[in-house]
Amino acid sequence: MVQIVICSAGAGGLAEWVLMELQGEIEARYSTGLAGNLLGDLHYTTEGIPVLIVGHHILYGKIIHLEKPFAVLVKHTPGEPDCDEFGCKSGTQYLVRALIKNKILFKTRPKPIITNVPKKV
Amino acid sequence: PRGSRVLFQQPLLRLGRPGLGRVRAKGKLADLPGNATAARSAPETRPRPSARAFETVRFLCTFRRVQTTRGAWFFCTKPAAPGAAGTPPRPRPAMRRTREEVDATLQIAKLNAAELLPTVHCLGFGPGASAAAGDFCLLELEPALCEQLEAGHSLVIRGDKDEQAVLCSRDKTYDLKIADTSNMLLFIPGCKTPDQLQMEETHCNIIHTEIFGFSNNYWEVRRCRPKLKKLKKLLMENTYEGPDSQKEKDSSHPKYTTEDLLDRIQASEEEIMAQLQVLNACEIRGYWRILEFDYEMKLLNHVTQLVDSESWPFSKVPLSICLQELGPLEPEEMIEHCLKCYGKKYIEDGEVYFELSADKICRATAQMLLQNAVKFNLTEFQEVWQQSVPEGMVTRLDQLKGLALVDRHSRPEIIFLLKVDDLPEDNQERFNSLFSLREKWTEGDIAPYIQDLCGEKQTIGALLTKYSRSSVQNGVKVYNSRRPIS
Repeated sequence: MVQIVICSAGAGGLAEWVLMELQGEIEARYSTGLAGNLLGDLHYTTEGIPVLIVGHHILYGKIIHLEKPFAVLVKHTPGEPDCDEFGCKSGTQYLVRALIKNKILFKTRPKPIITNVPKKV
Repeated sequence: PRGSRVLFQQPLLRLGRPGLGRVRAKGKLADLPGNATAARSAPETRPRPSARAFETVRFLCTFRRVQTTRGAWFFCTKPAAPGAAGTPPRPRPAMRRTREEVDATLQIAKLNAAELLPTVHCLGFGPGASAAAGDFCLLELEPALCEQLEAGHSLVIRGDKDEQAVLCSRDKTYDLKIADTSNMLLFIPGCKTPDQLQMEETHCNIIHTEIFGFSNNYWEVRRCRPKLKKLKKLLMENTYEGPDSQKEKDSSHPKYTTEDLLDRIQASEEEIMAQLQVLNACEIRGYWRILEFDYEMKLLNHVTQLVDSESWPFSKVPLSICLQELGPLEPEEMIEHCLKCYGKKYIEDGEVYFELSADKICRATAQMLLQNAVKFNLTEFQEVWQQSVPEGMVTRLDQLKGLALVDRHSRPEIIFLLKVDDLPEDNQERFNSLFSLREKWTEGDIAPYIQDLCGEKQTIGALLTKYSRSSVQNGVKVYNSRRPIS
């Protein structure tokens, strides 16, 4: 049987991240991949409503506090210095990087941004 | 415009209504000859999305900055399919957006900055974002698990190749399943919620946030019963018959330490420890052993005979004298183990005593009698049983729940051995085996044999409703199988 350990970083050591839920898929335009590319700007209204501008679209969403929080697990190969520090056994293991207790959900239809139509010359 | 440089920096965010093709916003570039054609040209070249994707809104979203000679930034649509506008320029490494750029975007989007909090998060993909699936994932936690992780404890996933994986904390076991979602889940470090931003004293106006990764599935957990049947099976491979037995001299017989058990049983450590106690297992020289039943009875007999000859009350059996008198016959650890299994330890005036449990002793005596025959005449059994238990103890049939079954419909009435731990662990299989033994059961008879199947907040009634059909026979409610048992 396999035992895969999920190590925690230790009391008080877990960061808190945020989950963003979008309807759709993300692809890189070119084969260079997504890394390093911008996605968009995230604003909040004074009422606390998240507003996401991606390209020429605006999405309005809402913040949801999760009843069942998530943990972000990162796979670790044996022998990694991080894991030995936390006293994990060797073998395949996952390290808990962060907990997620809130999510920003965008599920309404995006509004297109219409830029100025130039006057006819 | 002539002289402009086109920079492709954004990834493609594909969100679109199936069948409608791309939503195109008009913009400066689209109005120019040549580019306009390109913008309107391409029908959706991707294959029609599946039924599940139908739920998602799909539109093509690109973000492209065009720098004019005057230095102002505009947002334009881009031409359609690659190749339509010639070879695309090489993507430049992402530069950090400035507040001015953000404000320009807000202006074009016709958003009133006064209605927004001063801080903006500029989201980009971190270096590891496109990492291979499986290098990171999301685990949905029940609040109890979350607390354990926050306290620094680890969790363990256990399972064989042919078993369903379970997740174990120190004291609970959970079923593990992968849940797919058609939505995209992005996990973002350093992203603040509006509440957190408003609580801050100084407001910075721009935070460059890197998306760590994304996924469209997550691991889901649900509390389940620990799979402990295997524990007894492993320990029964090599029962302990006493230190002088031939088996002990032969080291080829399998023996298991606590670590060995954790490696093989799909349950949390505390649940395994609790079950070891229920099985009357004993840790002998570091290995967990179940006593062979006859050996266990031999030890018990020594104790009860000593209690009888010394005329001790059952509630006050002194440990030290037991060890003294019985030590020559059996190892002291085994005598003490026997007292622990059949009694409760307490200390009075500095001396260790045991309060013997009449229920447990009567039950063990019954097992000893019943296991030698297929079935017993009930009346005869009750007589022999009462005579076999230590004098002063009273036998009652309810002491035998989950151990023996009485058949009141046969003439004469009979009783036979039926141990719940010999029955299958899976719910449906358990009910199948019970119904093949006996067609109709009253609730009182069947309850001890399905009690261990109840999960958290599940009752016997709920189980019976799910796995059986009820009817009334001679004024009594009985349960039978939902389907024919072969």
